[in-house]
Amino acid sequence: MSRLSRPTLLIQKGSVFVAEYTLIAEPPLAGYDETFGDMRLVAPADFALVSIALPLGREDKALKAIKTGYGVDLPEVGESILSKDGKVRLLRMAQDQAFVMFTHSKPDAAQVVSKKIKDSAYVTDQTDVWTALHLSGPSSRRALERICPIDLDTEAFAEGHVARTVMEHLGVVILRDAADSFVLLSASSSAGSFLHAVETSIHNVT
Amino acid sequence: MIINHPLLGPRDAAEFVYLGDASLIDRPDWQDEDAMDQFHAYGYLRDNPAGEHKELWYHEQGDRSWLVVTRNTLTHEITNVEIARDVARARGRDK
Repeated sequence: MSRLSRPTLLIQKGSVFVAEYTLIAEPPLAGYDETFGDMRLVAPADFALVSIALPLGREDKALKAIKTGYGVDLPEVGESILSKDGKVRLLRMAQDQAFVMFTHSKPDAAQVVSKKIKDSAYVTDQTDVWTALHLSGPSSRRALERICPIDLDTEAFAEGHVARTVMEHLGVVILRDAADSFVLLSASSSAGSFLHAVETSIHNVT
Repeated sequence: MIINHPLLGPRDAAEFVYLGDASLIDRPDWQDEDAMDQFHAYGYLRDNPAGEHKELWYHEQGDRSWLVVTRNTLTHEITNVEIARDVARARGRDK
C-alpha cells in the first residue's frame, strides 16, 4: 500500500525537535474502474468504513443514540439501511456490531461517527483495513454466484441484505445495494488477490 | 455440511471453526473445595458419545458468534443450533 507523508509541524522530543509526520492511507485499489460486457466494476472513491460495537449492558442507550443520529433504527443482523438523509448506510454485522459506510475524504471517519452517536458505543475506524469493490449490471449476480457461497436469489438475499462470508478463501462482506448491484468488502492487505478473484469470476460469464 | 445459524440462516460449515464439547461453557468455580479435581475434569476429561453431541462452533468467517451445535456424531445430522451466549445466560451466567 502506498502512503503519502508530509511533515506538518515540529514537536519536541527530549532536547531535540523532530518533524511530526501525518500519514494518509491511500486505498490499494484506488482509481480502479473497468467495464466487462454489461457489468461495471469500480473501487469507490473516498470510501469510509467505521465499526460500532454496542457496549455490554448499555445496548439500548447506544441503539437510541444511533436512531437519533441517523434517523433510522439499526436493522436486524444480516440487513442494512440508509440513514434518513440517504448519505450513510448502516450494516448490522452481528448482534453487537454494526458497520457505518459512507463517503468521506478526510481520515477522521471514526470521530465523525462517534460525534453522530454521542460516544454511546465503541467506534473503530476500519477504512484502512477493508477495500471495497462495487459491481453492477444485469450479469453481476451470475458473475458472483460462482465464488459466493451465499444464495444471491432476491428471495433469499434481498436489496439491503448483507452477509459476511468467504470467497476464494478470502473473507468478504457482500451487500446488495440495488437489484443488480453489489458492494464487496475484503481485507486491504490481500486487495490484489481479491480483485483477481472477482475479475476471474466476471470473465467466466462474459 | 450446512449449519443453520439462528440469526443468519443456513451457512456452509467451511465458514465455521470447531472448538469442542459444549461443556466448556460450565467453567468450575476456582474457590470450591475440590476445584483441582473439577478443573482436571474440565480441562482433560471428555465424553465421546456415538450419537448426539453438543459442541461449540465459532462463526469466524461470519458474524463471529459462538454457537452450541447439537450434532449426531454417527450421521453428522445437526438437530439444533443455539447462540452460545443465550445458552450460557440460561445457565445463570451474567455476560
